[in-house]
Amino acid sequence: MPTIDAEDILEQRRAYNETLAQAADKTRAAWFPIAIMAALLSLPALQFVGNYNYLIHLVLFTASYVVMASGWNVLGGFAGYISLGHNVFFAVGGYFAGMAFARFEISTIILAPVAGLVAGALGYLIGLITLRVRGPSFIISSLALVMIFRIFFENWEFVGGAAGVALKANSLPVEWAKLPYYYAFIVMAAFAVWASYRIKHSKFGLGLRAISKDEIKSESAGIDTRFYKVMAFAISAFFVGMAGAVWGEYLTYIRPNIFLIILVSVNMVLMCILGGKGTIAGPVIGAVLIVAFNEFFVATLGASEINILATGLIMMLCLMFFPLGIVGTLARHRKLPRILNWD
Amino acid sequence: MADMVQILVLGLALGGVYALMGSGLSLVFGVMRIVNLAHPSLVMVGAYIAYWAFRLGGVDPMITLPVALVILAATGVLLYKLVFEREARSAKYSEMTVLLTFALAMVVEGALGAAFTNTQRVTSPDYATDAFFIGSVFIPKGQLYSGIVSLTIISALALFLKYSAFGNAIRATTQNRDAAELLGVNVNLVGLVSFAIGIGLAGAAGALVSFVFSFFPAKHWEWIAILMSLVVLGGMGSILGTVLAAFILSVIAAYVGFFFGATWSTLTFFVALFVVLLVRPQGLFGEKPELA
Repeated sequence: MPTIDAEDILEQRRAYNETLAQAADKTRAAWFPIAIMAALLSLPALQFVGNYNYLIHLVLFTASYVVMASGWNVLGGFAGYISLGHNVFFAVGGYFAGMAFARFEISTIILAPVAGLVAGALGYLIGLITLRVRGPSFIISSLALVMIFRIFFENWEFVGGAAGVALKANSLPVEWAKLPYYYAFIVMAAFAVWASYRIKHSKFGLGLRAISKDEIKSESAGIDTRFYKVMAFAISAFFVGMAGAVWGEYLTYIRPNIFLIILVSVNMVLMCILGGKGTIAGPVIGAVLIVAFNEFFVATLGASEINILATGLIMMLCLMFFPLGIVGTLARHRKLPRILNWD
Repeated sequence: MADMVQILVLGLALGGVYALMGSGLSLVFGVMRIVNLAHPSLVMVGAYIAYWAFRLGGVDPMITLPVALVILAATGVLLYKLVFEREARSAKYSEMTVLLTFALAMVVEGALGAAFTNTQRVTSPDYATDAFFIGSVFIPKGQLYSGIVSLTIISALALFLKYSAFGNAIRATTQNRDAAELLGVNVNLVGLVSFAIGIGLAGAAGALVSFVFSFFPAKHWEWIAILMSLVVLGGMGSILGTVLAAFILSVIAAYVGFFFGATWSTLTFFVALFVVLLVRPQGLFGEKPELA
């Protein structure tokens, strides 16, 4: 009677996984994200030949949303818990780093990871409460969260109440003034995309995806769903908080109606839905498109009301006709170009 | 002591308006399982109808009320046919509809803002600024009338649901959609009609709101969280629960406002929402908690 060697089976499984991974690698084009990074990192060289501050601002703005949308994607895309209140962590990160900057003059760029951790810790605590419910109840609780934090920040005198706090602008000449923040956001965006790739392909990410398919089955399969969900909440809050930290100093202002307006949290959600929830490239593509749309509407129509109207309309059409988003729909029809396959 | 009674009266008076706003939401959730985040923005549409009727024609909001109800009910039919009917087969129906109504709320807000600007508006019929006095306690006429009208409408709705054949079909569908369909209820028609009634009630509530609160398009975000707290405390889908929750929370909010300042009074609703989700997710009269 042949004995079954556990080591042998494990070895075979490992080899099989290896061939799968190699097959998947063939569908990717790793040079593309690297080329984008190289192009973005050298973009500020344009400042030597003219004033491209607007372009730099647009890329910076997009990168900040890539950080937030990729962070949101960990909870909303992988775990399937839609939060409409993630701008709370944007505000917490922004206020934490902004106040430290105002009081002790510590650069928010250095403090960004700490601000992210603060937001993440808060996210963990809030997640312990709100993740007890799921589906619509969870979405509602996330909306209420925004209202609560808005009231607190508007009435908290230490952080300037509704008027907020003005932060010192840096002393660099105008054509270089944006660069520290530019590089900070580019690095954070790259980190967020890389991290979400690593999370998606880890055991943790697999667990989250199982939860989004069927929470009860994943629980009975032995996944600690509660811990997984709360961790996903904390991680997504971490990224959003980090973006908020630098955003405050970049605008030289922290104020509730910069951070705690509904449009910020909707943008994160919309970018993920438009690009493709639960994919790696989705939030990036979504961020690029939505920022472009916003600029277009503001430039041509000039009114923020039209912007709100258009954002809502795009979101409705997206949900009704492309619920899988651009990347998801293309992947389903096997038409996803290799350069966009980052998963 | 007179203060305490006064605050109770003011709280109860506000509760009436919130109850009407919440009952439409509750009806739509009960039958369609749609958490309609666009409900308060449609209340806003009703308020603007009443405002312009009053401003341009001097029409009393009480007279505009049925008109707003009919216009919004028709809008409800349109929305149902265009947007929500096709989502019925969606696998992630409940999440999908929440996001859709959220987007719809933005569309409505943006459209109202573009058309009527973000100026604060309020209709001011004579009774809106007048009051009755009982001893030293005053009852603002506007809030009293709106409370009476809203309770009348809610009672009519309750009677309709309880005693008419179609009302029974609606309640049956709320309790168990599949079983109701098996017993010959046309659940699609029930869905359409209750959606239209729910949205119509938003219009009616809007006419009342127009003289109770000052309003501007973006204010509906605040109402969303308030209404959600009522619906969650009352138990999702229970109209009676929603009405009770409206009165309970409005009274608490009035006391909070008195003791700690007006800024903190709306906080009552949001904190209540969290506490209910934490302690008793099914609310006062709800069934088991909603599982996605």
